[in-house]
Amino acid sequence: MAEPILRVSGLVKHYPLTRGILFKKQVGAVKAVDGVDFRLDRGETLGIVGESGCGKSTVAKLLVSLERPTAGTIHYKGEDITSLSGKALKAVRRNIQMVFQDPYTSLNPRMTVGDIVGEPFDIHPEAAPKGDRRGRVRDLLDVVGLNPEYVNRYPHQFSGGQRQRIGIARGLALRPEIIVADEPVSALDVSVQAQVVNLMERLQAEFDLSYVFIAHDLSIVRHISDRVGVMYLGRIVETGTETEIYDHPTHPYTQALLSAVPVPDPQAREHRERIILAGDVPSPTNIPSGCRFRTRCFKARERCAVQVPALAVPAEFRSTSGPAAHESACHFAEDRTNQA
Amino acid sequence: MLLEVRDLHVEFHTRDGVAHAVNGVDYGVEAGETLAVLGESGSGKSVTAQAIMGILDMPPGRITAGEVLFKGQDLLKLKEKDRRRIRGAELAMIFQDALSALNPVLTVGDQLGEMFTVHRGMSRRDARARAVELMDRVRIPGAKERAGQYPHQFSGGMRQRIMIAMAMALEPALIIADEPTTALDVTVQAQVMDLLAELQREYRMGLVLITHDLGVVADVADRIAVMYAGRIVESAPVHDLYKAPAHPYTRGLLNSVPRLDRKGRELDAIKGLPPSLLHIPSGCPFHPRCPMVQDVCRTDVPPLYDVTESDADRGSACHFWRECLRG
Repeated sequence: MAEPILRVSGLVKHYPLTRGILFKKQVGAVKAVDGVDFRLDRGETLGIVGESGCGKSTVAKLLVSLERPTAGTIHYKGEDITSLSGKALKAVRRNIQMVFQDPYTSLNPRMTVGDIVGEPFDIHPEAAPKGDRRGRVRDLLDVVGLNPEYVNRYPHQFSGGQRQRIGIARGLALRPEIIVADEPVSALDVSVQAQVVNLMERLQAEFDLSYVFIAHDLSIVRHISDRVGVMYLGRIVETGTETEIYDHPTHPYTQALLSAVPVPDPQAREHRERIILAGDVPSPTNIPSGCRFRTRCFKARERCAVQVPALAVPAEFRSTSGPAAHESACHFAEDRTNQA
Repeated sequence: MLLEVRDLHVEFHTRDGVAHAVNGVDYGVEAGETLAVLGESGSGKSVTAQAIMGILDMPPGRITAGEVLFKGQDLLKLKEKDRRRIRGAELAMIFQDALSALNPVLTVGDQLGEMFTVHRGMSRRDARARAVELMDRVRIPGAKERAGQYPHQFSGGMRQRIMIAMAMALEPALIIADEPTTALDVTVQAQVMDLLAELQREYRMGLVLITHDLGVVADVADRIAVMYAGRIVESAPVHDLYKAPAHPYTRGLLNSVPRLDRKGRELDAIKGLPPSLLHIPSGCPFHPRCPMVQDVCRTDVPPLYDVTESDADRGSACHFWRECLRG
């Protein structure tokens, strides 16, 4: 297999909890990301789904070096970027850009759109010669479907969908190879969501981008992703191609998550089998022993409290080449075929 | 009819001009029925609910016309004192954001108990006992101990259960739920919607469910009213609407949701943006975004036509509903 453009192994991010003012003492840690592995191939979209607090946004921040990992490595084209600093880090960052969730707070209200989209050129002057910038910014606005005449307007003069386009234009400015998009459409209205999803797919084809697409909306992730990772409490619990995850989930959490999504078809409501999970997600300061999902799992047995299940193809599916043979961190993985 | 809204108009006076938030809304709910009001932000769905509940901020808001008939009585003509007696006891509301809807400095038990001391004149001790019963009823584990805790000590799902308990406390005839599960995760959303549906069946309440989520609507609603720019553009029983929408906006919404058979293709997005309420387009407010637009749409406001080609009781505010229905 060729070297993936991004390879993440054993990624951990713990935020220490301290007590005391003068003599700070660590009393615990928020284990936001607690051992995440995945790879991203060139030109593909990896979707990461999970509920709030599962650590998916922290993963995004780690990928673009907004946060430094507690442990683990991120390899970009075979090079470990977790220990880089200074110039070398800056060079890598140019190729991994981010699009944020909230188009209202991620744009500086006192900067014009032209300045926002052109700001990456101030940080990386080598990307565009000085005289050329204005033109580049106008091109970028055009590419994301905004009128280039708007360069002198301010963010508040735009709607949510248009602002998200501005955020995407800024992300594209340096011609990155990877875009990490953290819930890029969740703040938008349904009719506008589709426009932005279409835009992102078009840009991916045009600029040969690789996406890490983080979202909690399972149907949008399915639409845009080639492969999907399901996160729960700081770990990926199941990963595979889009069809493997959605049509043949083997992890009970994925199964419950998929069955809980309301389907926009009233015919389905009578004969739909739903798994309703009990309780809430445990606190990331106090992760259950063994399998971290066991406290809400409908299949939990004694073994689950003792032994941490590894993220691997379950033994019973290893010999088959069917769609159930994908990585799933469960001792009692079972194929639950979902009819579309 | 338990609740009937007739030709409701609400506007807001802002620095930039008059925002026409609700422009002639009609809808009705029977006892035991779930009406979903579907719309995007700015469609007027929440403002309509606030006008019904009598919690609209006036000023800047102003109800310029219309009636809100609850059990035959026009709520808009009542004195504030009489409205307060009905609100909470007969007509209750569940808000999207439970954390800001609950009082942060009162324990959950006190807030729930207040319903009984204020409306039913119970003693504090009896009210507290009822509060614990209610928390039990909405399946909050360890209700007795947790009644002494404050809202911030509960998770999002649990807080929304407390909101439901509070709305249910006096067994109202009608509950308006404004995006009750939007802030929740899917697995928790499923728990909360199930609970709400179960309680509704048990007490035969009317439920107005305000949402933007086509999936939630398909799961629980009997009827749907689709709102756009302060108007009802389509009203129909849920099965009929999903099978064959009679308004191009509804069709556009249904098509813009990713579906399996559209994987790898572009989503059919609705072009353009929802209109500003300060400058609602002439004629049909949807015409600048409509794929079926004709000259008449730019000049004539379509009334809510009876969709006569269907047996069901349904309406569409499109001049070309026949063509739309045929697809």
